[in-house]
Amino acid sequence: MAKEYIKYVDVTKCDGCRACMVACKNWNDLPAEPEEFQGSLQSHAKVTANTWNVLNFIEHENSKGDLEYLFRHSSCFHCTDAACEKVCPEDAISYTDFGSVVINNDKCVGCGYCVQNCPFDVISLATYKDKNGKEYRKAQKCTMCTDRLEEGMQPACVVTCHPGAMQFGNKEDMLTLAEKRLSEIKEKFPNANIYNPAGVGGTHTIYVLAEKPSVYGLPEKPKVPTSAVIWKDYAQPIGKLMLGATTMAVMAGFVSNKLFNKGGHDHGQDEEGGDSDE
Amino acid sequence: MTNHWIDLQHTDCALIMGGNPAENHPISFRWLTKAKEKGGKIISVDPRFTRTSSQADLYAPLRSGSDIAFVGGMINYILENKLYHEEYVKNYTNAALIVNDTYSFDDGIFGGYDEKTRSYDKTLWGFKKDENDKYVRDNTLQDPNCVFQLMKKHFSRYDIDTVVEVTGTPKDAYVKVIEMFAETGKPGKAGTIMYAMGTTQHTVGSQNVRAFGILQLLLGNIGLQGGGINAMRGESNVQGSTDFGLLYNNVTGYMETPTSTPEEATYKGFLEKVTPKAGYWTNKPKFYTSMLKAYYGNSATATNEFGYQYMPKLTPKKDYSHMRVFDSMYKGEIEGLFMFGTNPVVGGPNAGKEKEALSKLKWMVAIDLWETESSAFWQKEAGANPAEIDTEVFFLPACSSFEKEGSVSNSGRWMQYRWQAIAPKGKSKGDLEIIHMLALRQKELYKNSSHPAAAAVKALDWNYGHGEHPDIDLVCREINGYDTKTKTQIAGFKDLLDDGSTCSGNWIYCGFYPEEGKNHSKRRDNKDTGMGNYLNWSFAWPANRRILGNRASATPDGKPWSKDRVGIQWDAAQNLWVGNDVPDFTKDRAPKDEGGLSAFFMLPTGLGGLFGVMNEGPFPEHYEPYESPVTNAFSSVQLNPATKFGVEEFMTQGSAKDYPIIATTYRVSEHWQAGAMTRNLPWLSELVAYMFVEISEELAKEKGIKNKDKVVITSARGNIEAYAMITKRFKPFKIQGKVVHQVGMPWHFGYKGIATGGSANHLTPHIGDANTNIPEYKAFLCDVRRA
Repeated sequence: MAKEYIKYVDVTKCDGCRACMVACKNWNDLPAEPEEFQGSLQSHAKVTANTWNVLNFIEHENSKGDLEYLFRHSSCFHCTDAACEKVCPEDAISYTDFGSVVINNDKCVGCGYCVQNCPFDVISLATYKDKNGKEYRKAQKCTMCTDRLEEGMQPACVVTCHPGAMQFGNKEDMLTLAEKRLSEIKEKFPNANIYNPAGVGGTHTIYVLAEKPSVYGLPEKPKVPTSAVIWKDYAQPIGKLMLGATTMAVMAGFVSNKLFNKGGHDHGQDEEGGDSDE
Repeated sequence: MTNHWIDLQHTDCALIMGGNPAENHPISFRWLTKAKEKGGKIISVDPRFTRTSSQADLYAPLRSGSDIAFVGGMINYILENKLYHEEYVKNYTNAALIVNDTYSFDDGIFGGYDEKTRSYDKTLWGFKKDENDKYVRDNTLQDPNCVFQLMKKHFSRYDIDTVVEVTGTPKDAYVKVIEMFAETGKPGKAGTIMYAMGTTQHTVGSQNVRAFGILQLLLGNIGLQGGGINAMRGESNVQGSTDFGLLYNNVTGYMETPTSTPEEATYKGFLEKVTPKAGYWTNKPKFYTSMLKAYYGNSATATNEFGYQYMPKLTPKKDYSHMRVFDSMYKGEIEGLFMFGTNPVVGGPNAGKEKEALSKLKWMVAIDLWETESSAFWQKEAGANPAEIDTEVFFLPACSSFEKEGSVSNSGRWMQYRWQAIAPKGKSKGDLEIIHMLALRQKELYKNSSHPAAAAVKALDWNYGHGEHPDIDLVCREINGYDTKTKTQIAGFKDLLDDGSTCSGNWIYCGFYPEEGKNHSKRRDNKDTGMGNYLNWSFAWPANRRILGNRASATPDGKPWSKDRVGIQWDAAQNLWVGNDVPDFTKDRAPKDEGGLSAFFMLPTGLGGLFGVMNEGPFPEHYEPYESPVTNAFSSVQLNPATKFGVEEFMTQGSAKDYPIIATTYRVSEHWQAGAMTRNLPWLSELVAYMFVEISEELAKEKGIKNKDKVVITSARGNIEAYAMITKRFKPFKIQGKVVHQVGMPWHFGYKGIATGGSANHLTPHIGDANTNIPEYKAFLCDVRRA
């Protein structure tokens, strides 16, 4: 069995060069998709189906009134308890032994449940056309370069990161590095923290953040939504919208069976406050 | 760079001013991050809080164009509070030399100024010598005419209160900057200064750098690992370009281009004029003759002055720099233009006017990867009427660096060979191939001609293999140089001779290809040979030295200033300089020997120049930019008195009444210079897709501009549109009691390619530095309004 790995992002060493964005598009052969002017150096509002990582630029005045110019490489977190994996009616989303969460495009039907349920909003649907000109959709996101991991290489973004703001390695080693780094920067950044949210069982992209998660636009305490909530408030109406009512009716039993049969994976602790089960 | 990129990891403090390396030279932060991990500090001084500032321990803003005031104040504080490295200053700089009493300075003007020619009689700024032709010294540094005292007097006017009134820097931040950087003046400590075009692109650009030089000599930071003055070059091969004579007044290896004056009418006369009486440049005739042998081969003999008469000569007092070339073009004095990878309609100062000048050409040959705004200046989409333009334009498609082989020389003077990755696309060719084909055809055309110009073309030794594709290995061998009889490679420039028996295309690179089969620019041994100098990786000129002036990394008696920072040191047992670098010094000259302290042996004095002759004076003095919202607080002289003016139509000057806002230009990581190479690439174009102007929240409020609004920026030269990027990272300055705003914008954009937008250089002034004539892109006046 392969080792469980973590991509560790130390935002305090990032200088915002965005080589990670280009390296990702290059390795994964993703097209450019210019968005409208964002009002800052940030190129895209968020990650999309064709832009799997986005460098966030944040101007923040800290409690002392000092200006901080913060950068965050944002991409899929590869949760240990991945909401996307739970809600996928087609079993198209799975965990790899490396710890990454991947989408099988052959199985994906483009229903969008994963998109709606991701606590970090990092999955999107890409629209393609088949040879008859008919449109179809597939969910897309960062794969942690699982194809590279299988060949013994590291993710493309990590390899290109020149100041060493990103590192990739054994889970324990990376967590140790993060703890060490946190102690080094606490004086300069009193609000610094390790972002490895327990509400999703921990993640395989972890951060050392200089400021509170909310400053970076991250949920302070993300959780896996409960199955019931997923089904009732999100999956059903959206599924109907996208697949049509008839198809949905057939899907409904299928999906709900799948979801509720997954007790072992579905911790369902989020409603109680999302404390860690580790 | 005196040092190199990897060496940044050894610094105790990096003062980054006039540069934004986190954004424009990102690789530097790989090494600065390591320096930080070891406790090193970073100071960022910039009008705008940049990505570099975000990584710094200390940030201090200054208004664009006030650098000499800022650094002058640092120099004054360091002198007043005796924070300088006394032993270094006494032994390795010209502090103790006595200046002739013809030197004077009064109200912004040094002695010897001629208002009519806007120039100085620089002979008035010499050092006193005794009857034995030796420099007179006062080692106590007390003589009122010694450099140290004159310097102290000059900079005494740069007191903190005056300085911050001029720069707009908060006083407490300013004092913190000085104190943090002055820590590196303690023996054993090393501080580096990193700068780029934010320093140089001013009417006082060269003196901005000189001020850095004075600061670093005072703190004893030159020659040390982790120290130095490090110019971060704006392109991967700018260093190589200037090394190889790209500048009009230089041939290869920073030697003079001849001028057609009576004294330079003969080679002998020329050499007498350009060869100093002391210092290493006394060897210049050997380097020059070897270069002529490389140019003219067997046609260069002792009897024909080694072909000196074949060389093109400059016209006396004529300036051939970029702006003056465009002046001449505008006046119809230039018929044709070759443009190799250059795009003045986006990149040139007062670019709209430079575009006009292009239409006065009879012909233009544009050599580029893409059709640029400049090669397409005659088209409708450029706003031109093709029917009215008679210029014949030829476009030669060039291939990219990945499609050819050759070397680039990086900021650290490393000549690194690159191999071809893929074959050129279509019919595109490498620059070398294009020039080779041009040369062959010219020789063919002139073969039977008796035209006076034919002699030089015929004499040109052009033997780089058969056919249209040059053998680049033969070019490399010639750059290094060889014995003209035996054709064996020369081991190093110390073996070059002035009798025609050696050739060398570029003396500073002599040694990179010292013997058959050993092209050192191809070396890739990544084993650290000590202190991160990697002596077996590539080749650094001169003589593979990684840190210039490294004699000064040791005390006068040859011991390292610090055991943790060994550059070179004197080994008495071996009678040699040894250490982690190739000694930048005669390797067996003992500290006690004659000249044993001459760490700066290229100069006639052998001493670092606290006092150094430049076109506008021997000490830096603050003058305001060509366009400034305030009057000069240091003297009644507003503009650098030695800055030259060009053709009137180009010289438009805006006043603060009409254009109250300071503007500056800069680059982003994703785009390259005038943009042709990046604005045509989808993955880079999506990252910075739009022209923008950064505006402070305060100015935006005053002007009623909201984030993402379209705005118009106007200057005396023109106007452009851009998106407003409202930011906390620009703050208004308080200058001499009044609020002054500054905005900034990238200069990469044009109308060609995927990412398009207004060209900032349609706003910039056509004036430049008094020594180099680099344009003043970095400080001018503008106004901003909602579109």
